[in-house]
Amino acid sequence: MNLEELKKLKEKAQRQVALREGNKKYRVVVSMGTSGIAAGARDVMKTMLDEIEKRGLDDVEVRVTGEHGLEDVEPVIRIEEAGGEETTYARLDAEKAKKIVAEHLGKGKKVENLAVGKQKKTD
Amino acid sequence: MMEELSLHLLDIAMNSLAAGARCIQIAVLESQRRDRLILRVRDDGRGMDAATLQKVLNGATTTKASRRKKIGLGLALLRQTCEMCDGRLRVWSRPGRGTSVTASMRLSHVDRPPLGDLTATIEALCAASPDVDVQLRYHSDEGKFCFSSQELRQQKG
Repeated sequence: MNLEELKKLKEKAQRQVALREGNKKYRVVVSMGTSGIAAGARDVMKTMLDEIEKRGLDDVEVRVTGEHGLEDVEPVIRIEEAGGEETTYARLDAEKAKKIVAEHLGKGKKVENLAVGKQKKTD
Repeated sequence: MMEELSLHLLDIAMNSLAAGARCIQIAVLESQRRDRLILRVRDDGRGMDAATLQKVLNGATTTKASRRKKIGLGLALLRQTCEMCDGRLRVWSRPGRGTSVTASMRLSHVDRPPLGDLTATIEALCAASPDVDVQLRYHSDEGKFCFSSQELRQQKG
Protein backbone atom coordinates (compact mmCIF):
# COMPACT_ATOMS: atom_id res chain seq x y z
CA MET A 1 0.00 0.00 0.00
CA ASN A 2 1.31 3.45 -0.68
CA LEU A 3 0.00 6.92 -0.09
CA GLU A 4 -0.02 7.90 -3.78
CA GLU A 5 -2.53 5.17 -4.62
CA LEU A 6 -4.76 6.38 -1.82
CA LYS A 7 -4.65 9.96 -3.03
CA LYS A 8 -6.00 8.82 -6.40
CA LEU A 9 -8.88 7.24 -4.51
CA LYS A 10 -10.22 10.68 -3.56
CA GLU A 11 -10.29 11.93 -7.13
CA LYS A 12 -11.91 8.77 -8.33
CA ALA A 13 -14.56 8.68 -5.61
CA GLN A 14 -15.35 12.29 -6.45
CA ARG A 15 -16.01 11.43 -10.09
CA GLN A 16 -18.15 8.51 -9.08
CA VAL A 17 -20.24 10.66 -6.77
CA ALA A 18 -21.12 12.73 -9.84
CA LEU A 19 -22.26 9.58 -11.66
CA ARG A 20 -24.63 8.66 -8.85
CA GLU A 21 -27.13 11.49 -8.91
CA GLY A 22 -30.70 11.06 -10.12
CA ASN A 23 -32.89 8.17 -11.24
CA LYS A 24 -31.19 5.56 -13.34
CA LYS A 25 -32.32 3.27 -16.10
CA TYR A 26 -30.16 0.40 -14.86
CA ARG A 27 -29.40 -0.76 -11.35
CA VAL A 28 -26.62 -3.31 -11.00
CA VAL A 29 -26.69 -5.27 -7.74
CA VAL A 30 -23.51 -7.15 -6.84
CA SER A 31 -23.70 -10.05 -4.40
CA MET A 32 -21.15 -9.07 -1.77
CA GLY A 33 -21.57 -11.54 1.07
CA THR A 34 -18.60 -13.47 2.47
CA SER A 35 -18.80 -16.14 -0.22
CA GLY A 36 -19.17 -13.58 -3.00
CA ILE A 37 -16.18 -11.61 -1.76
CA ALA A 38 -14.09 -14.76 -1.48
CA ALA A 39 -15.05 -15.70 -5.05
CA GLY A 40 -13.96 -12.32 -6.47
CA ALA A 41 -17.05 -10.08 -6.28
CA ARG A 42 -15.05 -7.03 -5.27
CA ASP A 43 -12.91 -7.13 -8.38
CA VAL A 44 -15.95 -7.70 -10.56
CA MET A 45 -17.51 -4.61 -8.99
CA LYS A 46 -14.36 -2.56 -9.41
CA THR A 47 -14.12 -3.55 -13.08
CA MET A 48 -17.75 -2.58 -13.64
CA LEU A 49 -17.34 0.79 -11.93
CA ASP A 50 -14.22 1.50 -13.99
CA GLU A 51 -15.86 0.49 -17.27
CA ILE A 52 -19.05 2.41 -16.53
CA GLU A 53 -16.98 5.50 -15.85
CA LYS A 54 -14.76 4.97 -18.89
CA ARG A 55 -17.75 4.65 -21.18
CA GLY A 56 -19.54 7.57 -19.55
CA LEU A 57 -22.66 5.49 -18.83
CA ASP A 58 -24.45 7.87 -16.51
CA ASP A 59 -27.74 5.96 -16.51
CA VAL A 60 -26.40 3.16 -14.30
CA GLU A 61 -26.12 2.79 -10.55
CA VAL A 62 -24.22 0.02 -8.79
CA ARG A 63 -25.22 -1.36 -5.40
CA VAL A 64 -24.47 -4.41 -3.26
CA THR A 65 -26.46 -7.01 -1.41
CA GLY A 66 -25.68 -9.82 1.03
CA GLU A 67 -26.10 -13.37 -0.19
CA HIS A 68 -28.24 -14.17 -3.22
CA GLY A 69 -28.63 -17.80 -2.22
CA LEU A 70 -26.45 -18.62 -5.23
CA GLU A 71 -23.22 -19.38 -3.37
CA ASP A 72 -22.13 -22.06 -5.83
CA VAL A 73 -22.06 -19.80 -8.85
CA GLU A 74 -20.49 -16.65 -7.46
CA PRO A 75 -19.52 -13.95 -8.30
CA VAL A 76 -23.12 -13.03 -9.14
CA ILE A 77 -24.74 -9.78 -10.23
CA ARG A 78 -28.32 -8.84 -11.01
CA ILE A 79 -29.27 -6.11 -13.44
CA GLU A 80 -32.61 -4.44 -12.79
CA GLU A 81 -34.09 -2.21 -15.44
CA ALA A 82 -36.41 0.70 -14.95
CA GLY A 83 -39.16 -1.27 -16.78
CA GLY A 84 -39.00 -4.07 -14.20
CA GLU A 85 -36.94 -6.54 -16.20
CA GLU A 86 -34.27 -8.43 -14.27
CA THR A 87 -31.29 -10.44 -15.45
CA THR A 88 -28.92 -12.48 -13.28
CA TYR A 89 -25.36 -13.14 -14.38
CA ALA A 90 -23.21 -15.74 -12.64
CA ARG A 91 -19.66 -17.12 -12.46
CA LEU A 92 -18.24 -13.76 -13.41
CA ASP A 93 -14.72 -12.44 -13.70
CA ALA A 94 -13.28 -9.13 -14.85
CA GLU A 95 -13.45 -9.99 -18.56
CA LYS A 96 -17.07 -11.09 -18.41
CA ALA A 97 -17.94 -8.02 -16.35
CA LYS A 98 -16.46 -5.78 -19.05
CA LYS A 99 -18.50 -7.55 -21.68
CA ILE A 100 -21.71 -7.08 -19.68
CA VAL A 101 -21.03 -3.36 -19.29
CA ALA A 102 -20.32 -2.98 -23.00
CA GLU A 103 -23.27 -5.04 -24.26
CA HIS A 104 -26.05 -4.93 -21.67
CA LEU A 105 -25.49 -1.52 -20.09
CA GLY A 106 -23.92 0.10 -23.15
CA LYS A 107 -26.12 -1.22 -25.96
CA GLY A 108 -29.11 -2.67 -24.09
CA LYS A 109 -28.32 -6.18 -25.37
CA LYS A 110 -28.43 -9.04 -22.89
CA VAL A 111 -25.37 -11.32 -22.81
CA GLU A 112 -27.35 -14.54 -23.08
CA ASN A 113 -24.50 -16.99 -22.60
CA LEU A 114 -23.61 -15.47 -19.22
CA ALA A 115 -27.17 -15.08 -17.93
CA VAL A 116 -28.68 -17.71 -15.63
CA GLY A 117 -32.07 -18.85 -14.39
CA LYS A 118 -35.48 -17.56 -15.24
CA GLN A 119 -35.59 -14.08 -16.57
CA LYS A 120 -38.59 -11.84 -16.52
CA LYS A 121 -39.16 -11.01 -20.15
CA THR A 122 -41.27 -8.22 -21.42
CA ASP A 123 -41.20 -9.31 -25.07
CA MET B 1 -10.32 -18.29 2.21
CA MET B 2 -9.70 -14.62 1.70
CA GLU B 3 -6.43 -13.94 -0.04
CA GLU B 4 -6.24 -10.27 0.88
CA LEU B 5 -6.77 -8.52 4.18
CA SER B 6 -8.59 -5.74 2.34
CA LEU B 7 -11.22 -8.34 1.37
CA HIS B 8 -11.73 -9.07 5.06
CA LEU B 9 -12.21 -5.34 5.63
CA LEU B 10 -14.90 -5.33 2.94
CA ASP B 11 -16.54 -8.40 4.46
CA ILE B 12 -16.68 -6.79 7.92
CA ALA B 13 -17.94 -3.51 6.48
CA MET B 14 -20.71 -5.40 4.66
CA ASN B 15 -21.80 -6.64 8.08
CA SER B 16 -21.83 -3.03 9.24
CA LEU B 17 -24.11 -2.07 6.34
CA ALA B 18 -26.38 -5.01 7.14
CA ALA B 19 -26.52 -3.72 10.73
CA GLY B 20 -27.82 -0.38 9.50
CA ALA B 21 -24.66 1.64 10.10
CA ARG B 22 -24.66 5.31 9.03
CA CYS B 23 -20.94 5.67 9.54
CA ILE B 24 -18.20 3.08 9.00
CA GLN B 25 -14.69 3.95 10.12
CA ILE B 26 -11.91 1.80 8.72
CA ALA B 27 -8.39 2.19 10.06
CA VAL B 28 -5.22 0.55 8.78
CA LEU B 29 -2.12 1.08 10.91
CA GLU B 30 1.05 -0.33 9.42
CA SER B 31 4.33 0.04 11.32
CA GLN B 32 7.55 -1.57 10.20
CA ARG B 33 9.31 -0.04 13.17
CA ARG B 34 7.02 -1.85 15.57
CA ASP B 35 6.52 -4.78 13.19
CA ARG B 36 2.76 -4.53 13.58
CA LEU B 37 -0.27 -4.36 11.35
CA ILE B 38 -3.58 -3.31 12.89
CA LEU B 39 -6.90 -3.25 11.07
CA ARG B 40 -10.03 -1.80 12.61
CA VAL B 41 -13.63 -1.44 11.47
CA ARG B 42 -15.93 0.54 13.72
CA ASP B 43 -19.59 1.18 12.99
CA ASP B 44 -22.65 2.78 14.55
CA GLY B 45 -24.96 -0.05 13.54
CA ARG B 46 -27.31 -1.96 15.79
CA GLY B 47 -24.61 -4.03 17.49
CA MET B 48 -24.82 -7.49 19.04
CA ASP B 49 -25.44 -8.99 22.44
CA ALA B 50 -22.79 -11.15 24.15
CA ALA B 51 -24.30 -14.48 23.09
CA THR B 52 -24.45 -13.50 19.42
CA LEU B 53 -20.91 -12.18 19.58
CA GLN B 54 -19.63 -15.49 20.91
CA LYS B 55 -21.28 -17.33 18.05
CA VAL B 56 -19.79 -14.95 15.52
CA LEU B 57 -16.28 -15.38 16.85
CA ASN B 58 -16.51 -19.13 16.88
CA GLY B 59 -18.06 -19.35 13.46
CA ALA B 60 -20.62 -21.60 15.09
CA THR B 61 -23.39 -20.58 12.74
CA THR B 62 -23.56 -21.24 9.04
CA THR B 63 -23.99 -18.35 6.67
CA LYS B 64 -27.05 -19.98 5.24
CA ALA B 65 -29.16 -20.38 8.36
CA SER B 66 -28.33 -16.85 9.37
CA ARG B 67 -28.60 -14.98 6.12
CA ARG B 68 -30.75 -12.29 7.66
CA LYS B 69 -28.56 -11.83 10.70
CA LYS B 70 -25.22 -10.29 11.26
CA ILE B 71 -23.45 -13.62 11.45
CA GLY B 72 -21.12 -15.45 9.14
CA LEU B 73 -17.85 -17.24 8.89
CA GLY B 74 -15.91 -14.12 7.98
CA LEU B 75 -14.79 -13.11 11.45
CA ALA B 76 -13.92 -16.65 12.45
CA LEU B 77 -11.64 -16.88 9.41
CA LEU B 78 -10.01 -13.57 10.21
CA ARG B 79 -9.47 -14.63 13.79
CA GLN B 80 -7.66 -17.72 12.58
CA THR B 81 -5.41 -15.60 10.38
CA CYS B 82 -4.61 -13.19 13.22
CA GLU B 83 -3.70 -15.95 15.62
CA MET B 84 -1.55 -17.65 13.03
CA CYS B 85 0.35 -14.38 12.56
CA ASP B 86 1.17 -13.66 16.23
CA GLY B 87 -1.78 -11.36 16.69
CA ARG B 88 -5.39 -11.51 17.74
CA LEU B 89 -8.90 -10.47 16.88
CA ARG B 90 -10.93 -8.41 19.29
CA VAL B 91 -14.57 -7.51 18.85
CA TRP B 92 -16.44 -5.01 20.96
CA SER B 93 -20.19 -4.75 20.52
CA ARG B 94 -23.25 -3.61 22.44
CA PRO B 95 -26.86 -3.71 21.27
CA GLY B 96 -27.77 -0.27 19.97
CA ARG B 97 -24.23 1.04 20.24
CA GLY B 98 -22.41 -0.40 17.28
CA THR B 99 -19.56 -2.80 16.76
CA SER B 100 -15.80 -2.44 16.65
CA VAL B 101 -13.57 -5.14 15.18
CA THR B 102 -9.81 -4.92 15.69
CA ALA B 103 -7.39 -7.34 14.06
CA SER B 104 -3.68 -7.31 14.82
CA MET B 105 -0.83 -9.21 13.21
CA ARG B 106 2.95 -9.28 13.08
CA LEU B 107 3.71 -7.33 9.91
CA SER B 108 6.70 -9.49 8.95
CA HIS B 109 5.05 -12.82 9.70
CA VAL B 110 5.58 -15.19 6.80
CA ASP B 111 1.92 -16.26 6.77
CA ARG B 112 0.48 -12.76 6.90
CA PRO B 113 -1.74 -12.22 3.83
CA PRO B 114 -1.06 -9.08 1.81
CA LEU B 115 -3.20 -6.04 2.49
CA GLY B 116 -4.14 -6.11 -1.20
CA ASP B 117 -6.25 -3.57 -3.01
CA LEU B 118 -7.51 -1.34 -0.21
CA THR B 119 -8.59 1.25 -2.76
CA ALA B 120 -10.93 -1.25 -4.45
CA THR B 121 -12.49 -2.08 -1.09
CA ILE B 122 -13.21 1.57 -0.30
CA GLU B 123 -14.50 2.26 -3.82
CA ALA B 124 -16.88 -0.69 -3.62
CA LEU B 125 -18.20 0.49 -0.26
CA CYS B 126 -18.67 4.08 -1.40
CA ALA B 127 -20.54 3.03 -4.53
CA ALA B 128 -22.61 0.49 -2.62
CA SER B 129 -23.87 2.89 0.01
CA PRO B 130 -23.92 6.52 -1.09
CA ASP B 131 -25.76 7.63 2.06
CA VAL B 132 -23.33 6.04 4.50
CA ASP B 133 -20.20 7.85 5.55
CA VAL B 134 -17.32 5.54 4.67
CA GLN B 135 -14.14 6.72 6.34
CA LEU B 136 -10.60 5.46 5.92
CA ARG B 137 -7.62 6.32 8.07
CA TYR B 138 -4.31 4.87 6.93
CA HIS B 139 -1.13 5.29 8.95
CA SER B 140 2.33 4.04 8.13
CA ASP B 141 5.83 5.06 9.20
CA GLU B 142 5.90 7.34 6.14
CA GLY B 143 2.74 9.28 6.83
CA LYS B 144 -1.00 9.18 7.00
CA PHE B 145 -4.04 9.51 4.78
CA CYS B 146 -7.65 10.26 5.66
CA PHE B 147 -10.73 9.85 3.52
CA SER B 148 -14.43 10.42 4.12
CA SER B 149 -17.07 9.79 1.46
CA GLN B 150 -19.55 12.27 2.97
CA GLU B 151 -16.93 15.00 3.02
CA LEU B 152 -16.54 14.46 -0.73
CA ARG B 153 -20.27 14.75 -1.22
CA GLN B 154 -20.42 17.98 0.74
CA GLN B 155 -17.60 19.48 -1.30
CA LYS B 156 -19.58 18.53 -4.35
CA GLY B 157 -22.45 20.66 -2.97
